[in-house]
Amino acid sequence: MRRLGRAVAVGVRRSLPMAMAMAIGALMLIDFFFDERHINALGGFFLESAVIVVAFALLLGLLNVLVVHLRRIIKREGGWFYSIALLAMALMVMVAGIPGPDNSAVVWIFDYIQFPLQAATFSLLAFFVATAAYRGLRLRSLEAVAFVLTAVVVLIGQVPVGRVLGDVVPALKDWILNVPSTAGVRGIIIGVALGTIATGVRVLMGFDRPYGGEGGSTQ
Amino acid sequence: MGFLAEILGNLGIGQQHALMFALLLPFFPLLLLLNRRIRERGNPPLRPIPAYEDLEAYLGEATESGRTVHVSMGTGGIGTGVTAESLAGLTVLEHIAGHSAATGLKTVATVSDPSLLPVAQDVMREACAAQGYPEAYDPACVRFVSSDKVAYAAGVMDILGHDKVSCNVMIGNFSDEFLLMSEVGARNAVNQVGGTTSPQILPFVYASTDHALIGEEIFAAGAYLLGKTAHVASLAAQDWLRTAIILTILIGILVRSLA
Repeated sequence: MRRLGRAVAVGVRRSLPMAMAMAIGALMLIDFFFDERHINALGGFFLESAVIVVAFALLLGLLNVLVVHLRRIIKREGGWFYSIALLAMALMVMVAGIPGPDNSAVVWIFDYIQFPLQAATFSLLAFFVATAAYRGLRLRSLEAVAFVLTAVVVLIGQVPVGRVLGDVVPALKDWILNVPSTAGVRGIIIGVALGTIATGVRVLMGFDRPYGGEGGSTQ
Repeated sequence: MGFLAEILGNLGIGQQHALMFALLLPFFPLLLLLNRRIRERGNPPLRPIPAYEDLEAYLGEATESGRTVHVSMGTGGIGTGVTAESLAGLTVLEHIAGHSAATGLKTVATVSDPSLLPVAQDVMREACAAQGYPEAYDPACVRFVSSDKVAYAAGVMDILGHDKVSCNVMIGNFSDEFLLMSEVGARNAVNQVGGTTSPQILPFVYASTDHALIGEEIFAAGAYLLGKTAHVASLAAQDWLRTAIILTILIGILVRSLA
């Protein structure tokens, strides 16, 4: 009897998440394609529920941050003092945000700490693009040669000195951007669309189970 | 055609939705049919993708050196418009998690969207349980860094710069912050495999990683790394639909040209 109960529990644990995912996925698909009042209302309800679930996931994320950095502090792992700073700042912003997100303290933190730090980190991108371009433009293969030639033509065609040299380079630049580049991008987009459909259909049909449960996430 | 448009209109389906429906609907029976055929006849040959082939070598190298593998599944999450890309990254994590659980390789997975956190943790936990070592699972091996893309990049840059990482795998949805992370990896001589679907970011992936997965190649991870029948079948189904789309485009060009 106990064995039977265990078998039923395992079966339910495996099948129930899959059945729910397939049913709700099918409903959302029907909601997207058909304009029917009751289905739209049900679809809207599940979408709002998803927003609430994601908000709870954010709490899980905060707990994860706490666990990872507290462990680093307790074990005195490399950079543990930065973990203290991180947790202290997180606590400070949380306390400042208690009256609400429009609180002057929170606005000040975002305007004078968060956004300047973001801008400073993102400004590294300019230098990283240069070093990545240097690394990428080494002639290690035939496609790298094509990459270099195309980059040179487009660069010269974009800058004013390209027009001084003549109309050929800007015209070639325009052709490269409008014809082969656009064709390649469209090909990638079509492939990505098909891949996205395939991924969704596999989840809808129960072939993939990223929502976990006994038996593995995906099969 | 007018009759068809009227029927669709009565059902509340616009023209654009009808085209999407026409593309989606054949996938279901095609996937079922091809899945069954592959189960009966075995896997068809797949063209080699160097990124997936060399990933095995990188994992082996990391195992032998005792260093860490870092996995990033992008800045998207579950339930967003880029869920498929996040699931592709999750598939790669599943493969790496299985390798880690079997060999004791240290793996650190970072997420930017918190909805991906419990799913990624579940993948790691299941991998340990499958090898018979559920107690080996460490919840801190999956880290939520930040919902903000720049802050996420800064966190990953720190891991790649200080955590003795041997291999860095970044597959999922990324924007410009990809280059911030991959450049740090490149400077620290980390073996890197990157993949994304955004055409604007692909040049960064190509220039700063050892192997780039371009567009839909990231969705092939389940077929190449895990050998799953359903994934191989969906690759075949994609090929069939791609052929149909190409033929439709060619026929359309001919009709327009001759008209």
